[in-house]
Amino acid sequence: METEKPRRMSAPGTTEPTGAIARARAGDAEAWGELYREYAPAIFRFCRRAMPTREDAEDATMEIFMKLKGKLSQYDTTRSFSAWLYKVAANHCWDILRRRRIRQDKETEDVENLPLEHPEPTQLEKLIEQRSGEEVRRALEKMGARARMALVMRYYSDMTYDEIADALGVRRAFVGVVLLRARHELRQALEGNAAIAAGGAS
Amino acid sequence: MSEPGDDKVKHLDEMTCLLYLERQLDHARGLEISAHTQECESCRTLLRALERETRLLTRAMLEDTEPLPSRLAQFHEAARRSMQWIWGLAFGMAATGVYALYTGYIQPWQQQLEQAGFSGTNLLGLLIFQSPFWKGWQSMVTLLEILALATLGGLGFMFLRRRLRRGSALALVFAGLCAAMLIPAQASATELRKGDRVTIAKDEVIHSDLYVAGGRIRVDGTVEGDLVVAGGDVEVAGHVLGDMLSASGSVRVPGQVDGSIRGYAGNITIKGQVGRNVMTFGGDVNIDRDATIGGSITSFSGRASFDGHVQRDVLAMGGQVNIGGNIGGSAKIRADELNIDSSAQIAGPVNYQGNKPPQVSEQAKLASPVRFEKVKHGPDYSNLHYYIWQVIWLAAFILYGLVLFSLMPKFAQEAVHYAEQYGAAAGLGVLVLFGVPIAACIACITVVGLFIGISTLFVWYASLYFAQVIIGTVVGQWLMGRTSEFWPFIGRMAVGVIIVRLCTTIPHVGGWVKFVVILWGIGAISLAIFRRFQPAAATAQMPPSAQPLPPNTTIGGPLPA
Ligand SMILES: [Zn+2]
Repeated sequence: METEKPRRMSAPGTTEPTGAIARARAGDAEAWGELYREYAPAIFRFCRRAMPTREDAEDATMEIFMKLKGKLSQYDTTRSFSAWLYKVAANHCWDILRRRRIRQDKETEDVENLPLEHPEPTQLEKLIEQRSGEEVRRALEKMGARARMALVMRYYSDMTYDEIADALGVRRAFVGVVLLRARHELRQALEGNAAIAAGGAS
Repeated sequence: MSEPGDDKVKHLDEMTCLLYLERQLDHARGLEISAHTQECESCRTLLRALERETRLLTRAMLEDTEPLPSRLAQFHEAARRSMQWIWGLAFGMAATGVYALYTGYIQPWQQQLEQAGFSGTNLLGLLIFQSPFWKGWQSMVTLLEILALATLGGLGFMFLRRRLRRGSALALVFAGLCAAMLIPAQASATELRKGDRVTIAKDEVIHSDLYVAGGRIRVDGTVEGDLVVAGGDVEVAGHVLGDMLSASGSVRVPGQVDGSIRGYAGNITIKGQVGRNVMTFGGDVNIDRDATIGGSITSFSGRASFDGHVQRDVLAMGGQVNIGGNIGGSAKIRADELNIDSSAQIAGPVNYQGNKPPQVSEQAKLASPVRFEKVKHGPDYSNLHYYIWQVIWLAAFILYGLVLFSLMPKFAQEAVHYAEQYGAAAGLGVLVLFGVPIAACIACITVVGLFIGISTLFVWYASLYFAQVIIGTVVGQWLMGRTSEFWPFIGRMAVGVIIVRLCTTIPHVGGWVKFVVILWGIGAISLAIFRRFQPAAATAQMPPSAQPLPPNTTIGGPLPA
């Protein structure tokens, strides 16, 4: 089958604000305001999920929009605007997190070589079944920066594996591993112990 | 959990299941997995659990749509408000500057003009009337004129496209053109004479206005309206009841003009009587001993001598000014040299600004001694005001840059980018710095080109300052590194402008620094404009923005129910 970009489920607007983008590029403050009002809530929620605290998320949102003003000229109008926005946002958030060195080092270099534990399917099902979104969000907050970032990029902003690889600075083939490990970490956080995640089937 | 028959089949690992769900596996592998999960209960459960996990994750991420914190909701408004503050300041300073300019220079000049019988519309009329009768204007449709039109057309298009909607921009252009066309059309009840040699005989009476164009023009008869002449050699020995307007090489007026004489001439001599005022731009201006001027004289000329009788004031700017006649009012002279002969008689005060002290004959009858003010050259480094003004200028520069950069951020970045192509920028700078004003002046001579030419000069003048801002930014980026963000960019601009301004105030060298900076910056701006009209070439020059390649392994088979 032909290559195809997955649909952006969480994109704030289905139609591209081409006119506003063009005017904002030309320096129209009104158009810029339009774009801000349209996209700031989505970008804020992205940061809210990706960053450890609310203050961090607010700061990051502002910084991203300041950055966007200068970067708007680089935006390729033939591509999705929200996808591009999320890419800029992801790069910015990951830059901050990395600079703070709160990533978990065990994840970075040697994860590729670590064997992946396999869950027991029925136990996994049970674990997932009764969980509310609220619980998941609380669990996400307990997670390492990189694992959380990966999940947010994939399941909030629906970024492609290539885009995630690009943002995190890993090889594309490794994105699946990062995501799977992130899920394991989430399960641990959800359960509060490692029992289920580690309970291998094979 | 595996079914009995599956012992030899390898179960799917979690990674494979995830990649399958995320549609990251190729088609063949997807079919394999699909086939396996049809039969294997355990793997189907795993797949289903993972899919539920995905849905749970997505739901957790997307629900709880926290509203934008008020700090963020106001962020853009606050940014706008701060911009409004900057705009307010910019307009305030601009207004102050315009007011200072107006009261300091324009108003006195305008008063002089009004005294000389001009109002603003008259001056425009004069310029426009002169143009069509100027002998060589057809041959001026040359390369330079086309260049000027193209340059301004391009600039105007760029500017108008952004600031105004299409309809109003067109309307504006048409309104301008119509206004330019209407003014000459108003005075259509005229008589027109053309030819190599035009003579209005002594007994001839023209009952309307008379327009004459020719190589040699003699008006011995009577013109009851205005006389408008354009020619190489003009002599008016007859009687003009209205005003006389002229654009000619050499003009002699031994006759009588009841109105005013205005115009441009290489050489103008007035021997007869002028009822009202004389205003001339010329190389050589002679008000002969026998001449009588009923009003005042305003003259901008290389050499002027006023030997006749002037009822009112004399305002003269020029290289050398001689006064030998009778002046009923005051004399304001700004010249290199002023000589007041023994025959001179001046009723009002004499103010003289110049290089050399005035030569005043002892026999001259002056109401009061000549007030002489030596023209200062160069800045006065010992004066505190000089430094205060430097700081004000610096602030104005940075503000100007800020306004321009926020008005057209992309263009400013491009201009900075092209400034680093030193050779091309400097070369084009020479061409534009000298070529555009010449082309604009030529455009001013033609009727339609007047509006265009004046606008071009304004844009050109503004770009002299913009050039310094651009080069300031380049210098700032050398020192502080590159950036594409707005405020850091402005910061680099401010630092660079401060440095460039400091360099331009160094005695002796500063002027040259300024010249090079302007040359370089103008070149960069022109290059950026030039590249705007070659989009293909421009994109090749700019660094390509990084975009991920489409993934080459994607789609999986249909999901199991
Ligand atoms: Zn199986």
